[in-house]
Amino acid sequence: MIGDIFTMALETMKSYKIRTFLTLIGVIIGVASVIMVTTAGNSVSTFIAEQWNLFNPTGMVIGLGTGGDVPQLSIRSVVFTTNDVENIKRLPSIKNVAPIGVVPVNKILRRDGFLNWQSRPGETMYASTEAILEILNMELEEGTMFQEGKNEVVISKNVAEVFGSDQPLNVGDTIYLRRVDGKTLEAKIVGILKQSSSYSMFNTLTTPGIICPEKPYYSSYFGSNAGSILKRVVAYTILLAEAADTKSVLEAQNEILSYLEGTGSDASQYKDENSDFVVITQQYILDRVEKIMNVIRTYITAIALISLLIGGVGIANIMFATVTERTREIGTMMAVGAKRRDILQLFLYQSMVIGLLGGLAGCVLGASGSWFVVDLLNNSIKNLGGAFSTGEIQLTYAPEWFLIASIVGILIGVAAGVLPARKAAKMDPVEALRWE
Amino acid sequence: MPEYVIEIDSLTKIYKTGKTDFKALNNVDLRIRKRDFVAIMGPSGSGKSTLMNIIGCLDRPTSGTVVIDGENISTVNDNQLAIIRGRKIGFIFQKFNLMPSMNAVKNVALPMVFLGGSKAERDQRAFDLLEKVGLTNWATHLPSELSGGQQQRIAIARALINTPAIILADEPTGNLDTKTGEQIMELLVALNREGKTILLVTHAIALKRFANRVVNMLDGEVTEET
Repeated sequence: MIGDIFTMALETMKSYKIRTFLTLIGVIIGVASVIMVTTAGNSVSTFIAEQWNLFNPTGMVIGLGTGGDVPQLSIRSVVFTTNDVENIKRLPSIKNVAPIGVVPVNKILRRDGFLNWQSRPGETMYASTEAILEILNMELEEGTMFQEGKNEVVISKNVAEVFGSDQPLNVGDTIYLRRVDGKTLEAKIVGILKQSSSYSMFNTLTTPGIICPEKPYYSSYFGSNAGSILKRVVAYTILLAEAADTKSVLEAQNEILSYLEGTGSDASQYKDENSDFVVITQQYILDRVEKIMNVIRTYITAIALISLLIGGVGIANIMFATVTERTREIGTMMAVGAKRRDILQLFLYQSMVIGLLGGLAGCVLGASGSWFVVDLLNNSIKNLGGAFSTGEIQLTYAPEWFLIASIVGILIGVAAGVLPARKAAKMDPVEALRWE
Repeated sequence: MPEYVIEIDSLTKIYKTGKTDFKALNNVDLRIRKRDFVAIMGPSGSGKSTLMNIIGCLDRPTSGTVVIDGENISTVNDNQLAIIRGRKIGFIFQKFNLMPSMNAVKNVALPMVFLGGSKAERDQRAFDLLEKVGLTNWATHLPSELSGGQQQRIAIARALINTPAIILADEPTGNLDTKTGEQIMELLVALNREGKTILLVTHAIALKRFANRVVNMLDGEVTEET
């Protein structure tokens, strides 16, 4: 009998095709928008998380700033000495440490014939050690790493093409680097870095154009400016470190902080009283990004759920109209033996089917709509140009939201149908039969 | 088998309209035998609709007892009342009251849906009844495609499908022209001859002649015409 009433419900819906269709649309759009929003959110956050992959997963940056729950790094003064680098490297949970000494370069020069010089604006140049490659996820495409104390540099793919891709810089070429203090230093290119696979738009800090040995590029510059204060001790503003494995990241962080804050470190003597030592791990960065993305995602999903709710209100509205319009039919059904439960089921099934069909159709529409949304986002990313243009958002579905959206669709169908169906079932047959 | 198919004793029905009570039926006693063809006559407001609603198990008495085919309907709940209604009463309405979205067979079979039973059985029985009312060729048509007389025949077939003890016809010719009305009345007479108990509620004096018993109603009270 339940099957018969279900069939009756379906047949009624068939005879009100346009009405059923319009009600369906409300649910379809609601479910589809939830799916599109969650899929777009998922895809974008995967993309952004990739953009924030500054270091390898065990990587961290050590500097000065303000500590606390939300540490802030501020590049202020040079406090970390070579001594500190060596000591941190020896901490039990640390695998590797690389200093970063910024060498301000405002010109890159190339000799093109006897008296002919070509000049290009400067690039980010870091004095560091070989360890920087591993910590920043970089690899040499060709050549070798520089040797400490020699006029050798490693350059990025981009820098290799500053003079034009038709006349790239090659391993073995010599360039001249004009520092902001006016000194020009010869540099032999010994290696070229591989173009990073996921070119990040946030990692200007971690994608240097030129990497050079501390001697002669950094220490000579450093000595000329700040030597009197620091007694010609070479010191850096930032250190990069790498934990032994992903499990020991937190330990490594604590070991570094306790070393630096202790009296044994040079940095503790050089730092000013108002700043704290700060260690920011890759994990922390990703956590922060994820938190921000979650806030945005929750907000947009809530909006999408509202549209699903509106779909539900649409069902309720139409069902109420249908019940009122069919009052006499309901009276007749009661007269020929329909129980209140039969009438209740008849109308509940209708709203349930609308919820279910709307949910399923919404999933299909949402899945294909997501594809367009992501495509649209990718197009606008390309149009932005610059670092953005190399990134691409991958369509990443959130399968749980397909389930949630269809279940919510059905639930809303039932919930929206309950009141109208109860209204129908509670009718007084005498009154209902008299209805005009 | 009880001698009477309807036994009504001191039936009173009071409607509460705002602060004043309206006594629609006042201490009515009525007994109807099996195979009776009773015309219940009276002007509007006389209480004949109320009486019909109570006999049809659509409404309950305020006081008194009403026994329909052995079932005392004064004491049952809504659910039981619906079941009694479906089994024992066949309704025929002035405006036919067919389901506009169902074809003739489905309309005829509708009362059986609420009692259970297989679809094949229902359809077979509905088809047989359509044959009985002469509408075999219209089995798959929607009510909107049929004339008033044809629609009322479908309604009669529907009233018969659960082999009820009583056929309740409420102004069955009210929406039909005289000739078609006559045909419908002939059909009811034929059913009566086959052994159906028929209650005809009408204010059309012309229909009196089809009945073998006439009950007049006025101001909620019953007087038998002999």
